[in-house]
This record gives sequence, C-alpha cells and structure tokens, in this order.
Amino acid sequence: MAEYAAKKLAQMLITVLGVITLVFFTLRLIPGDAASAMAGDTLSGEALQVLRDQMGLDEPLISQYLGFLRDLAMIDLGETITTRIPIADLLLRALPITLSIAMATIVLSIVISIPLGTLAAFMAHKGRNWLDNGLTGAAMIIDLMPSFWTALVLLLIFSLGLGWFPASGQLNWNNPGSVALRLALPVIVLSLSQVATLARITRTAVLEVLNEDYVRTARSMGWSEMRVLFRHALKNAALPIATVVGLSFGNLLGGTVIVEFIFTIPGVGNLLIAGINSRDYQLVQTLIVLYALLFVVINFTTDLIYKTLDPRVQF
Amino acid sequence: MADLSLPATPTRKPSLLAVGSAIARHRFLSHPKVRLALVLLVPILLLTIFAPVLPMQKPLETNLRAMMQFPSIEHVFGTDKMGRDIFSRTLAGVQISLLVGFSVAAIALVFGMVLGTLAGFYGGMIDRAIMTVVDIFLAFPSLLLAIGLVSVMGTGIVPVILAISLADVPRFIRLQRSQVLSLRSRAFIDAARTVDASQYWLMTRHIVPNTLAAMLVAASIAAANAILVEASLSFLGLGIMPPQPSLGNIVRDGQTYLEQAWWISTLPGVVILLIAVGLHFLSDGVRELLDPRSR
Repeated sequence: MAEYAAKKLAQMLITVLGVITLVFFTLRLIPGDAASAMAGDTLSGEALQVLRDQMGLDEPLISQYLGFLRDLAMIDLGETITTRIPIADLLLRALPITLSIAMATIVLSIVISIPLGTLAAFMAHKGRNWLDNGLTGAAMIIDLMPSFWTALVLLLIFSLGLGWFPASGQLNWNNPGSVALRLALPVIVLSLSQVATLARITRTAVLEVLNEDYVRTARSMGWSEMRVLFRHALKNAALPIATVVGLSFGNLLGGTVIVEFIFTIPGVGNLLIAGINSRDYQLVQTLIVLYALLFVVINFTTDLIYKTLDPRVQF
Repeated sequence: MADLSLPATPTRKPSLLAVGSAIARHRFLSHPKVRLALVLLVPILLLTIFAPVLPMQKPLETNLRAMMQFPSIEHVFGTDKMGRDIFSRTLAGVQISLLVGFSVAAIALVFGMVLGTLAGFYGGMIDRAIMTVVDIFLAFPSLLLAIGLVSVMGTGIVPVILAISLADVPRFIRLQRSQVLSLRSRAFIDAARTVDASQYWLMTRHIVPNTLAAMLVAASIAAANAILVEASLSFLGLGIMPPQPSLGNIVRDGQTYLEQAWWISTLPGVVILLIAVGLHFLSDGVRELLDPRSR
C-alpha cells in the first residue's frame, strides 16, 4: 500500500510540475506580452515599461519560470496586478465558498442518486423496467442540458416566480440559514447533472452485482430483500460508484464557475472571470494552477480509496 | 514484394465498410435512435441553411417599435431589448454552434488518430512522450482548460475552436491508443506480420480502419460537447462576442431581462438541448448498428 501510494504520489508530482510549466509557458505565448495585453491602449512607453518591470517580464524566461516555481512552492501567490490585493487573501475568502458548494453538491447527489439507482437496478432485476427506462432517459436529457440554461430556468421559476430563494444579496456567514437558502439553487443545478451520472452508474453497478453468486447465497439464507440489497449488493457496488464521484469532480469544478457567475456568488469561479476580464494574468495563472491542483489531488485520493477498498487493483 | 501476398490476410470487422453497407441496406435509416436523431437534427439543419432566405428579420437588424415582444407568428421566439428577432438570431447562433461542433470533432479526430496510433503502435519513448503531455492536459477539468486557453488566445470563433479542440484531443489520443494496444495483439495482425507486411501497411490497412467506428462515435459526442462548451464560454462572455449572435451570448443578453422577457434566455437554450440530444442519439444509433452486442 505504502509503495503504491508513493508511486502514485510521484506520478502526481510530475503531473503537477507539468501543469505549472504548461500554464507558465502558455501565458508567455500571448502576442506582444502580458503587460501590453493587460494595459490595452491605456498605457504607452514608460508606463508600460514600469508595468513590465513590476511583472518581471524583462528577466530571462528561465529565471522568470524558476521564480514562479519558487513562489508557488512557498505559497507566495503575489498580488493582483490591477488592484494590488494579495491573491492569498482573495482565495481565503473565495475558496471556502466554492468548496462548500462543491461538497454540498456531492453530498446531495449521493443521497439522492444511490437509493434511486439501487431501486432502478432492483426493479430491473425483477423484470419491471419502467423506472429503469425512465431514469436512463431522464438522466441522458439532464446530462445534456447546458448548466447555465438550467440555472436560469430554475432561477426564473423558483426565485423570480415563486420567490422561494433569494436571487442575489450578500453571503452573511453569521446567518447560516440565509447562506443555505442563497446557495440552495446553485447546489441544486450542479446536483442535477451529478445525479444523472451517479444514478446511472449505481444502477449498472448494482445490477451487475445482483447476479453474483454471493447475492444468491444471501437470499437463500432467508435475509430480507432490503438487507440483501443494501448489505450485500450495494456494498460491493461501492467501488465503481466511488470512482465516478471522484472523476466527476472535475466537471463539478467547471460547473461552479458557471453557477457562481449566474447567482453572483463571490467564489473562485467569479474571481477567475473577473481576472480574465481585467486581464490580470497573475491572478488567472494562479487560479488555473489551483483548479488543476484540486483536481489532481482529488484523483489521487480517489485512487488511494479505490486501492483501499479493493486491494486486488494493480496499476 | 510482401504486399502481393496480403489479400490473403484475414481482415476481421472492417468497420468503415460496415458503416457503408449499413447505410446502403437502409439499416441506418430504419434504426429507431438514428431516426429520432434525424427528426431532431434535420429540421434545425434545414432552417439554419435556409435562414437567409426565410421571410424574417435579419439577425442583426434592430426594430425599436417591436422591443421585448412576446413570441408570436411574426417573431416565433419573440424579440429582445433592441427589437431584434430572437428566432433569426438563434438560427445564426446555431450556424456558429454547428461550425464549432464539426470543427472540434474533425480536429480531435485527426490529431487523436495520428498521435494515438503512433503512441499505441510504437510504444516505448514515443508512447511515453505523448502520454506524459496527454496526462498533463487531462489534469485540467475540460471546461476550465477551455476557459484558461481563451483567456490567452482571446475571444472569437477561431480561438474558441482551438481552445475546445486542445481540451478534447488528449481524450481522443487516449481512446485511440487503448484501441490500438488491444488490436496490436490480435491474431490477424500477427498473420499480417508473418507475411512481412510493412509497419505502414499494418497501421493504415489493419489498425486504423478497425478503430474508426469507435472514434466516429466519440467524435459525435465530442461535437455535442463542443457545442455545449462554446455556449458556456459565450455565456460567460469569453467566447463569441456580441453583436455576432451565438446561442450562449443570446442567453447571456436575456439574463438581464429574465423577469420581463423570459423567452430571450430560455428558448435558445431549448435549441441547444435539442441539438445535443440529437447528436447523442445519432452516436448511440451508430454504435449499436456497428456493434449489435452493445445494445
């Protein structure tokens, strides 16, 4: 196990280094340079040169790269170029919000999709396919709905129409109830597509296990259907389900950018959009690296969980 | 010289031929999923092609006497703040969507086939070099990679196509490589090798044709996905910029007027969904036709 973890960790570090290198050099491909792209037509001559100095763009590429690596390693994220706010401070405020949305989405979608998928598998196993067919069809369509459109439709119905959820306003953490209401719709929007994927995977995994010998044995011992289903079948189907939860995290991160934008939630996604719009490349490169890091770390954790749940797995 | 003996080589499951013969035998058109896909896609395609000659307002034409009008016979999807016809704008947006979808699918297909085949067939250093880069790209969630790339390359249709393709190509390389790896050890390849077939011949005659079916299925899913990503980018203000209409930026425009004019944002979204569902059924149908076991 330790050897496996070390190998995976080494792989992960190589990927992370690759990610950082890729981001760094891609940003240097901007026509002209980052300083003139940032300034647009507003600066010229000396002012532009000052900006270039500040950004360290006149140093040799390799020392810029090493400096970038050193700063990241020491978690010195620098300041935003336009507003001179330490990026770490911005992240400290934005990251918990985005992570809350992501975690709430994962929990909600697991709570809904596992019973739903298990039930669909159970009914299909008994030869009653309507729930199964309905679920498969609905899951496909939900999966293909653009999330920004779903978000707007739900906003239209539940916020503007029925007035159940506030559509805007500050997040006041002293009042958890109001925060929950404010974040409810974004979480529901993101959960929809997660549930669509997860319920389908759960259904397939459980259906496969239901045909196994040990499930038949459990039945023949006279256990109740519920016990067979949840104790024996679902437990053994947990592996593919856990993997898909891990893998879908990347889509979820992309989704948070869109819902934060629509529901004007001050998370990392909105920070990214603001950074791109103000051409603040320092901020953008830090955030992109952060997103990739989050994703890689989650994948690494998923691999370890997988290995713990099923020691037979060889890579 | 060796080539002379090759017609005797057993070739199993020539997939491209299967596609051709399936169409020829009308199996393609009678498959229920393909039919459903065509019912969804053909009208949208026809409307998009004939949009310029249809009797309706041009996409960019404003009409200040008909602002924010509810959908009617004259304006099927209603009008926006500047009195522009949403239906006409939607069709212009579909044109962009289809262009993006097909370009991305084609780019991903070509690069995925070439690089994936090289990696899978030769193995060793080539494989390691290609797959290291692929793994780095796969470390980014795809929408975020596209967002990051357009932030560097700028807005507009070409950067959007390139950004989405760059996010998709690694996935295609991976798929192609895994197909090539499993084909490489099959008996008919060994048979071809025993008669001294050249590597080029093996790749182009035996390996690539057998991987095409799965790649085409993946390509049609990639097209649907690219349409969704383009719409998302344009919605975020990072893709196709107004006044040039795209499904994403029409929805974005309407967001401000959601309460007064819900149709501006919602109806173009329905069209995106219909296209995505259509492409999905198409890929499902093609897959089932080529491999009846997967049903």
